[in-house]
Amino acid sequence: MNPTQFIQEGFVEIREHLGRTLLQTLGVILGVASVVATLGMTASMDARRDQYISESGGTLLMGVYNQPPAVLEMTARQRAKTGLKLSDAAAIRNTIDGFDLVVAEIGRTHQVRAGATEERFRITATEPQFMQMRELAMGSGRYITDHDMETAAAVVVLGSTRARELFGTADPVGKALNIDGKAYTVIGVTAEKIFFWQRSDTYNAHEWLNRLIVVPITSYMKRHQEAGAKDIDELNLRLRSSEVHKESRDALELLLRSRHGIEDFGVWDRVERMEQGAQEDMIYSITFLACGIISLLVGGIVVTNIMLASFSERMREVGVRKALGASGWQVFTQFLIETMVVTVCGGGLGLALGIVFTFGIMSIMQMEMTITPLMVVVALLAATLVGFFFGMYPAVKASRLDPVVALRYE
Amino acid sequence: MQPLMSLKDITKVYGEGDLSVEALKGIRLEVGAGDYIAVMGPSGSGKSTLMHILGLLDSPTAGSYQLDGEEVAGFSRRKLAHLRNKKIGFIFQNFNLLPKASLLRNVELPLLYGGMGRKERRQLAFEALARVGLADRAKHRPNELSGGQRQRGAIARAIVGRPQVIMADEPTGNLDQQTGGEILELFDELRAGGQTLIMVTHDPSIAARARETIRIVDGLVLPNGQQVAA
Repeated sequence: MNPTQFIQEGFVEIREHLGRTLLQTLGVILGVASVVATLGMTASMDARRDQYISESGGTLLMGVYNQPPAVLEMTARQRAKTGLKLSDAAAIRNTIDGFDLVVAEIGRTHQVRAGATEERFRITATEPQFMQMRELAMGSGRYITDHDMETAAAVVVLGSTRARELFGTADPVGKALNIDGKAYTVIGVTAEKIFFWQRSDTYNAHEWLNRLIVVPITSYMKRHQEAGAKDIDELNLRLRSSEVHKESRDALELLLRSRHGIEDFGVWDRVERMEQGAQEDMIYSITFLACGIISLLVGGIVVTNIMLASFSERMREVGVRKALGASGWQVFTQFLIETMVVTVCGGGLGLALGIVFTFGIMSIMQMEMTITPLMVVVALLAATLVGFFFGMYPAVKASRLDPVVALRYE
Repeated sequence: MQPLMSLKDITKVYGEGDLSVEALKGIRLEVGAGDYIAVMGPSGSGKSTLMHILGLLDSPTAGSYQLDGEEVAGFSRRKLAHLRNKKIGFIFQNFNLLPKASLLRNVELPLLYGGMGRKERRQLAFEALARVGLADRAKHRPNELSGGQRQRGAIARAIVGRPQVIMADEPTGNLDQQTGGEILELFDELRAGGQTLIMVTHDPSIAARARETIRIVDGLVLPNGQQVAA
């Protein structure tokens, strides 16, 4: 038995009863559309987020910050050991292999003066690898180097926004800059970094990088901290790969705990945050998908109902087919395939509607749309399954009709 | 020679208990290959029920029905569908062509259910339509045809699979006299070609065209020669 004939007859049914068929598949269309739209929006937003993450150092970033413990009484010895030190960075570099970048950082606000401009700005004292870690590029001049670190050179690198604020349109490289009365020389300006979540956005997610005033951490310690103080605010770390995430993080916490004698630090972790984010996304996705699935189920019930409602007008047809020698199985197959043709067509329409819907939402949000093959597969598969399961009952009913009763039906 | 169809003491009871109706009360009948039999009787006499049983659309309550030497009772639904497809062609009073399909597709249906390939199917359907003079109407739908054309199309559908028996239930009942005459001429031609025909009618003038007439009254076959008050 050749099913293409039945597929053809399915299309004949659709053509003959266009209005009814449309009504019949409306639930399937909307269900598929909402599933497709969910997948489409999730895919589009995921693509955008992945882009942001890779442009801002990748998924492998980790950081350690000071988090004084809630212990009231500490001995002087204990107190001296707590807090992140520059030596912690060296210890991590020497003992934990899982990190390929370890960058110490101090961030404080100071009085900054350049020519006639004077204002309080945050100074970031760090190491040369900061540039690599934050995926920065130079607009002009150069970044701080290991040599600057060794010599505690009085040099400063400006973000593009800060450079404009302090020096206007002139190239600041080689110009003098005063931080809390200490003289520095500008050696470079980083290229402007831009990331807009939405096309019309006025908020640049990378703008903080354009507002940095970076000095070598050794220079900062020498000029702006009391002698001997090696305290830092933060340690930025980058994993070699996601495979070493867990072991490296465990080793990191163990090392710091043993060095400090107490848990006086916190860890932020992009791998972990990504996982949490993925979980949150999942909740939204599941909610939308659940709506889509309920809609598909309701749509399926409508499919069954309309098949049954149109049954009386097709009784005679079934009788004739049986008189001509159609077996119950053949009648069953015909009805089932017919229903599936209807729902798959509905699925196709739903797919188109879902894409249009996603496109609409994405253009309102000024975001680019991503269409994945998964959307197409899910749409057609869902429609096929709905046709199969909800076409089953009418098909069984038709196949069991007594030919004499069916033929006599007026 | 063994008869094509042999019925012994066939009864058919509809319903159960007090509400039961005995439609056939013990029919004895033999149909030989090449016979042209008219089954006559007033409405409610049981002739349609007999027709359905002969055509394997319905099964008798009791009695024996042998088709081509095989006892039909106990055959599965699937087997019965297969036999209907291969051995029997139906013609109905109201034509019963599928309204949404072209004449050609209607005629192809029995071959489709018989599992024949598309090309061969098309070929045979065209030949059958040519035999009833409708080759030029193959692509038309039933509602684009006259009553006579529709019934000729139905005849093409009945003969396309070369069944052993053609069963016609009041084939001229919905047609005017002249068109009905054309249909009966077509039956004569089929008969001349050796086709077995069983025709149910209540019209004696139509029954007269058959070689043999069986009269059924109240679920029983009347002996030959006895008159029926139709």
